[in-house]
Amino acid sequence: MDRMGQFGDDEFRSPKLDELWAEYRSLSPDPDASANFMPNLWQKIEARRVDPVSIFRRFAKICVLGTVAVILIFALSISRIQYEPTFSSNYVDALDAAHAGDYVEVADAL
Amino acid sequence: MLVEFELIERARSGDDGAFNQVVQVYRKRILGTIARLIGRPEDVEDVGQEVFLRLYFSLDQLRTPEVFEPWLYRLTVNAAYDYLRRQKRRRESRMSDLSEQQVMMADAVAGSKQSDETQRRSKVKEQVEDLLGQVSEEDRILLMLKEVEGLSLKELEKIYDANENALKVRLFRARQRVLKAYDASEDGKKVASERKGLVGSD
Repeated sequence: MDRMGQFGDDEFRSPKLDELWAEYRSLSPDPDASANFMPNLWQKIEARRVDPVSIFRRFAKICVLGTVAVILIFALSISRIQYEPTFSSNYVDALDAAHAGDYVEVADAL
Repeated sequence: MLVEFELIERARSGDDGAFNQVVQVYRKRILGTIARLIGRPEDVEDVGQEVFLRLYFSLDQLRTPEVFEPWLYRLTVNAAYDYLRRQKRRRESRMSDLSEQQVMMADAVAGSKQSDETQRRSKVKEQVEDLLGQVSEEDRILLMLKEVEGLSLKELEKIYDANENALKVRLFRARQRVLKAYDASEDGKKVASERKGLVGSD
């Protein structure tokens, strides 16, 4: 690396390639721009200027839609919970209901 | 510098008229550089517009008008590099759709339609394209800027924001690779012409 720094750039040139590069350069002149170059450029600039706004709008729309979806899901799940039968009886009532048949069998035996 | 610092300053402060003037002054040179960097005339204007578009939206990041030209070249290099990478991906997918025979036929048809002078030109361009195909997109651009555009190492230092020695090493390696490919293609041509000669004498 240091050794490379001691030399000028020309030590590493190849005449064969230099000739080819020069020919290539002469065969590729700077092209003229078409008449539409500037109008198209300004169109692109305007489009890019507008872009951040439209991105923000799209983001805002997504946020609104997401919020509506979440609210709907919550509303549906809350209403479903409300309509589900809740277990309101106490432990003794439950035990009584489970062993109602036993009482009938004892009464019959007597 | 092709323009006054004051014009750059005005463009930087949002004067669209000044920006227009800057584009008009540098347009031809930048389009020429892009044409040689990407090697596809039909896409030069698109890439050129991308360069000036990036310039428009990054002018406020320019520290001083003195570094404007290296800055513009850096934008050009980046846009050309992005284009070449996109093209490489597209080319790979397109070529994989064609059989080898179809590719050879397409080349033959394209070749037969050209005049002698155009053929010679396209041969040189093709040879340069083939040689540059042996190095990475980054090295291709570096070689082009140095060898074809004739930029100095000092100018390249500013464009790449790299030190001279690192650039010399990269240039040396890229040149070696291209030279190797050049020698190989010359050997290939010799072998092909010798074989033709043998076939002719039979």
